[in-house]
Amino acid sequence: MTHRRRRLRNALLYALLFFVLAGLVFPVLFMALTSLKTAAEVNRIPPTLWPKYPTLENYPFMARAWDFWLALRNSLILAGGSGLGATVLGAMAAYAFSRGTFRGRTLMYALLVASMALPAMVALGPIFIAYLRLRLLDTHIGLLLVFTAGGLPLATLLQFAYFNAIPRELDDAAAIDGAGRFTTLFRIIMPIAMPGVFVSFLLLFIVGWNDFLFVFTLSSSPDTQVLTTNLYTIPPREADYQSSNLDLVATAGMFVLLPLVPLLMLTQRQLVEGITFGAVQG
Amino acid sequence: MAQAKAAPLAQSRVQNLFSSRYAVFYVLVLPAFLLRMIYSVIPVIQTIQLSMTNRTIVGGGYIGLRNYEFMTRDATLIGSLGWTLLYTGYAAAAETIIGLGIAILLMQNLRLRWLSNFIILLPWVVAPILAALAFRILYFEDGGILNEILRQLGYGNAAVRWLSDAETARFSVIVMTVWKNVSWVALIFMAALGSLPREALEAAAVDGANALQRFWYVTLPLLKPAIYLVLLLRAMAEVQTFEQIYGLTRGGPGSATKTLALYAFERFFQQQRYGYGAAVNMVLLVVTIAVGGIFAWLLYRSREI
Repeated sequence: MTHRRRRLRNALLYALLFFVLAGLVFPVLFMALTSLKTAAEVNRIPPTLWPKYPTLENYPFMARAWDFWLALRNSLILAGGSGLGATVLGAMAAYAFSRGTFRGRTLMYALLVASMALPAMVALGPIFIAYLRLRLLDTHIGLLLVFTAGGLPLATLLQFAYFNAIPRELDDAAAIDGAGRFTTLFRIIMPIAMPGVFVSFLLLFIVGWNDFLFVFTLSSSPDTQVLTTNLYTIPPREADYQSSNLDLVATAGMFVLLPLVPLLMLTQRQLVEGITFGAVQG
Repeated sequence: MAQAKAAPLAQSRVQNLFSSRYAVFYVLVLPAFLLRMIYSVIPVIQTIQLSMTNRTIVGGGYIGLRNYEFMTRDATLIGSLGWTLLYTGYAAAAETIIGLGIAILLMQNLRLRWLSNFIILLPWVVAPILAALAFRILYFEDGGILNEILRQLGYGNAAVRWLSDAETARFSVIVMTVWKNVSWVALIFMAALGSLPREALEAAAVDGANALQRFWYVTLPLLKPAIYLVLLLRAMAEVQTFEQIYGLTRGGPGSATKTLALYAFERFFQQQRYGYGAAVNMVLLVVTIAVGGIFAWLLYRSREI
């Protein structure tokens, strides 16, 4: 390949890369830009791309007017609690699948994997009816259980792969020292497999943070709403129902996205590892 | 004497160890297993029973297969079944093709690695419901940004009715879905491309195959299992799509973008017709399993060869 052709090829590739990245970032970027606009500017026709008078005033306004702190707290409780719960329960199951030979092992593993194919909407119907009867609608514990159950297959399969890579001799050594299975798991295996444990928690936290359907169907009280379900109850600015409030809508969206951005920057490598794990495993 | 005493002790200890060895594994595995079954397999079995009743919020009883009989005359159901399959096919195919293209582009050792990795992960980390919100802002019809961009590019004042025209709304929904999922597909393909045997590609290059030939005759056949895996996972997710479409169009205009999951939600949760809603859910379940089965079979076959 001649020098000139290589430069042409590179220029083309970079142009293509630019278009791809611009297309991927644009919807989110435009939401961010819209959140910085004033009420007057979002109602302007023709619309602007960059805000003329960028302002952050929408953020404190929405934090006050939108039940923000309550929803943030609930999002953190549900995403964090279910991430933790599913990771610990999943680690226990993964350890048993990895080390144990017990009756029903293959069947239980197969059922756990197969259950991932069942649509959440199908399961939610009877869950709703059961919750109605058990008075678990609108409760944190009811939601936490659904979220945790939802994350269990991923937590189990992911940690199963990590635990399998740890030599069995470690277990034997721990057993000789008198450690029980639980001690071996929590004191020896999980610390060694910490990268995998962390990836499991991270993925489940993001899934929980982003969930909408579970809370939407299983709770209607304002006490148990999360940030994603609140996205459709944006207050109109003052009593003016005529003009659009896209700036406030965009600000609410940024409240959901922004906490995940630093997480994304700090844990890029782990996230990619967790996402592609499924492909490698098959 | 000492020996005689020690022997039974050792034996019972062995027995203890043996039985507790099993017991402890059940204690470890059952919390996760039971919790998952209670929240997935058991409700799905209950859905089968429920679909043969006319239960609503006030009660109801067994009516056999009457719900299913009624479904054959339910135009909304048939329409949403057709749209669900169409949406699944288009979205999964577009995601796979574009995702593979992006993966190949990003494997070219270009600069800006960190930035492109970050941007690739961005649509993936955006909540489905938030993707709908971001696209609602883009698709805004009276003075929205997309129509303004089209106007600046010289497409006159013919404002596109992104969400209020049935055919266009279907297109808009598919575009949003592809945007949301294409980065996941690209990441999977990047991992698959990275693990391809280099020898095969080098051998083809030595034999004088150009880049296009190498891709078509060497890379693509080697990627087959990955492609079927992506199609399997994407199609199964697409078939049950609810959040994104509910957020963007609520299934409208009319029922143009109403997937099976949206229709089941409407019947079950909004109208509280549990029996009929469960029957719609059964259709969703069967379609999901059928789609999954087809691609799982293709994946299995591609690995055997």
